Amino acid sequence: MSAAANSSRQQTEAAEAFAGWLQGLSGGAAIDAASSGTAQDWLAAERQQAAERVRAQAVPTGKSESWRYTGLRSLIDQGFVQVDEPLTALTPDDIEEVLVPGLDAHRAVLVNGRYSEALSDLGTLPRGVRVGSLQRMIESDPDALQGVLTRIAGEGSHLFASLNTAAMQDGLVLLLERGALLERPIEVIHLSVGMEEPRVAQPRHLISLGDGAQAQVIERYVSLGDALYCTNSVLELSLGRDALLKHARVQQESPNAFHITGLYLSQDANSHYAGVNIGLGGTWARTDLVTRFSGEHAECDLQGLYLAGDKQLIDYHMDVRHGLPNCTSRERFKGILYGKGRAVFDGLVYVARDAQKTDAAMSNRNLILSANAEVDTKPQLEIYADDVKCSHGTTVGQIEPEMLFYLRSRGISASLARRMLCLGFAGEIIEALGPEALRDYVTEQVGERLERAPLD
Amino acid sequence: MSAIPAEAITAESKADTVGQYDDLVNAGYEHGFVTEIESDTLPPGLDEGVVRAISARKGEPEWMTEWRLAAYRKWLEMPTPTWAAVHYPPIDYQAISYFSAPKKKEGPKSLDEVDPILLETYQKLGIPIEEQKALAGIAVDAVFDSVSVATTFREKLHEAGVIFCSISEAVQDYPELVQKYLGTVVPPTDNFYTGLNSAVFTDGTFVYVPKNTRCPMELSTYFRINTPNTGQFERTLIVADEGSYVSYLEGCTAPQRDENQLHAAVVELIALDDAEIKYSTVQNWYPGDENGKGGIYNFVTKRGDCRGHRSKISWTQVETGSAITWKYPSCILRGDDSVGEFYSVAVTKGRQQADTGTKMIHLGKNTSSTIVSKGISAQHGQQAYRGLVRIAARAEGARNHTQCDSLLIGDKSSAHTFPYIEVKNSSAKMEHEATTSKISDDQLFYCRARGLSEEDAVSMIVNGFCKEVFNELPMEFAVEAQKLLSISLEGAVG
Repeated sequence: MSAAANSSRQQTEAAEAFAGWLQGLSGGAAIDAASSGTAQDWLAAERQQAAERVRAQAVPTGKSESWRYTGLRSLIDQGFVQVDEPLTALTPDDIEEVLVPGLDAHRAVLVNGRYSEALSDLGTLPRGVRVGSLQRMIESDPDALQGVLTRIAGEGSHLFASLNTAAMQDGLVLLLERGALLERPIEVIHLSVGMEEPRVAQPRHLISLGDGAQAQVIERYVSLGDALYCTNSVLELSLGRDALLKHARVQQESPNAFHITGLYLSQDANSHYAGVNIGLGGTWARTDLVTRFSGEHAECDLQGLYLAGDKQLIDYHMDVRHGLPNCTSRERFKGILYGKGRAVFDGLVYVARDAQKTDAAMSNRNLILSANAEVDTKPQLEIYADDVKCSHGTTVGQIEPEMLFYLRSRGISASLARRMLCLGFAGEIIEALGPEALRDYVTEQVGERLERAPLD
Repeated sequence: MSAIPAEAITAESKADTVGQYDDLVNAGYEHGFVTEIESDTLPPGLDEGVVRAISARKGEPEWMTEWRLAAYRKWLEMPTPTWAAVHYPPIDYQAISYFSAPKKKEGPKSLDEVDPILLETYQKLGIPIEEQKALAGIAVDAVFDSVSVATTFREKLHEAGVIFCSISEAVQDYPELVQKYLGTVVPPTDNFYTGLNSAVFTDGTFVYVPKNTRCPMELSTYFRINTPNTGQFERTLIVADEGSYVSYLEGCTAPQRDENQLHAAVVELIALDDAEIKYSTVQNWYPGDENGKGGIYNFVTKRGDCRGHRSKISWTQVETGSAITWKYPSCILRGDDSVGEFYSVAVTKGRQQADTGTKMIHLGKNTSSTIVSKGISAQHGQQAYRGLVRIAARAEGARNHTQCDSLLIGDKSSAHTFPYIEVKNSSAKMEHEATTSKISDDQLFYCRARGLSEEDAVSMIVNGFCKEVFNELPMEFAVEAQKLLSISLEGAVG
């Protein structure tokens, strides 16, 4: 009895601490936005409402369904405070170490959530393409953002997305006009640098493709050193009719980093989105991928690969809503776990009453390499229409001894054989990444992690 | 907004679904008759006094009364679960009468002494309690409302050393067995409904199969809810001692009622070393009328504990009735090399709602489990599969295969899948697959081209869809289940 009472008191205390922490973050930023005088009326109102939502929303606990397997305790305990001043001390030489060798792309760089003109190397952009800082655009051309920014993420969104809306300061904007064509990919480097006290950066990014526009975006989350910090980013993506976006996201944050991403995608008729999410870094990483269709015959393809080892938790949540008929969605995620690594996969495909002829398939496959790793997977279907084709599948397994034996009998060492098999398993997802330079780079990153992994 | 308006598609499929098979889909509940019989019923309401009264009427020993009271006190502190995908108005637990026993002149010694009205009821239901029972080789422990009124084949079972009696008798005659096992698989505090059941359960079945004994026949209990406003709180406890085997059949029908009736049963299975328990259910309680009025609330907790090494527990269920089903027959695979199985067919039509599935908790080494769940949802039917597969860190070499398929008939029906998979051991092998679809036009066309009527074609396709589960049922049940499915569903195709 007393133990139960104790734990419930502890829970209440934790909830209070968390609520206080959230308020501090959202409130502080609202003042920042008002005092800087950059906020437009509509945006100020959105921020205000978001701050209200943060205040009103119940603090997630282990009993909240979407946080069932992902504890927030370790995040709260860090006592992160909001990033204040932009970091301008870096020179292009400093970021050399985080670049992908041989990758030919327009490069945009953000440091601790703020767009850096000095480090970005955009080259010549084709007509109808704008890339730049969100803060700048709020100052110079806010009309271009109205009705898009904060609207895709919507009001019913996640607690951390509301927090981000209330507190956002800067981020990346990529706008493609109707019919614009971006042939070279755009590489967006989200660089984090550790500060004296642990900081949380809350960047807000917006990518909007007009009707028939096409682009390829490569986002990379990297850090200098093993710094402790938190990134709470929200990415809003809007695809017009017939638009095409190839989107690669490679998360290789520092081993001590906390990473939260909310990706909100809105797709109009006939648009095609192909996203590949690679999760390698961070000690605690949560990604929410949310898709809505606003026109028929749109296709959404989400793929992912995650690796989690000692002191790592990687969590992917997916919410794909089919509200209209004739749309197609694919989710294919693969995970490799070693050491004491933990992974969470939670995917929901929702098919509304009128969304006939929906075609949806979800799969999650996990490879566990060590005795202490854990995976919690929950692929869900919620279907209210009858003329649909929906399926999901999930597996958890390990390397087949026969496969290992085959390779070993050909003179390959056990550890190399294991690595080869894991890379084979991961290869399918890495292949989808696009540019060869990026594929090679990610393959190397995955290989390195597997080499260091304690295999037992 | 779109080239083809959504309404056009909906209208088209509606034309397919509605109209042609109204007769079949709208077929009333076949078993909706009420037997007028005097009942000895407690007034509605629940407090400690009622719990004591139930215990006193059943002449229970002190420890049993205390056990009930402890459960009742815990229950008062428990919240009603709200996480399931079902919707219903709040239940007033004070408006339910917690005890209803058919009045007996004296305890029946043989079938001849059983109230003839009761026997007639069973005959209407087609229960083989007389000659049929001998032919079918089934011993029937018929539960009329809450008290067992007839128990057959007991002698024959007695020879084999198998105890098959009502739980009330077991409390009197085998208190040491009941005390040892009752509540060890499903503790009273497990959830809201188990708490309620533990406090007020009136009857149920107790089975004990001794060491190295194969139960000579399939055991069967038919439940029937009869008195209005009486919740049924059955308690079933089956213990299979080392090296034994038992197959238990449970089936139920209920008469048509306007008020919702609550059914919160608890079933506990315990399999010791090398023992095997096979538990089959055909559930066909009154589902309510086409507007969802009336119908049984079926909130059941069923759990099996593979306590011994190499033990096996297998659940098979065919769920076609009840307004709301909330049921997750589960297996705790504690012993090494133990096996858990769950085969389920669930049908929801009209306004029926079902949230059902299973839990497989792998604790022992080399444990394996199989889950096959087939859901069919028609008209406004709502259905959810909710399952958990947990492989604990020490469960070396655990193996699970899960398959859950849903068939949707009509554009107002819905089907959901919520599987939870938690793996903490690297040697585990776990597969899960799920699909949702409707009966394809090609399948139908093929059958129709060969001269089958559309109803027969659908019936055949649905039976094929469920075959994996029907194969697991004992013969007599498989026939009944197929018939039930045909009656429930024929023709409702989109």
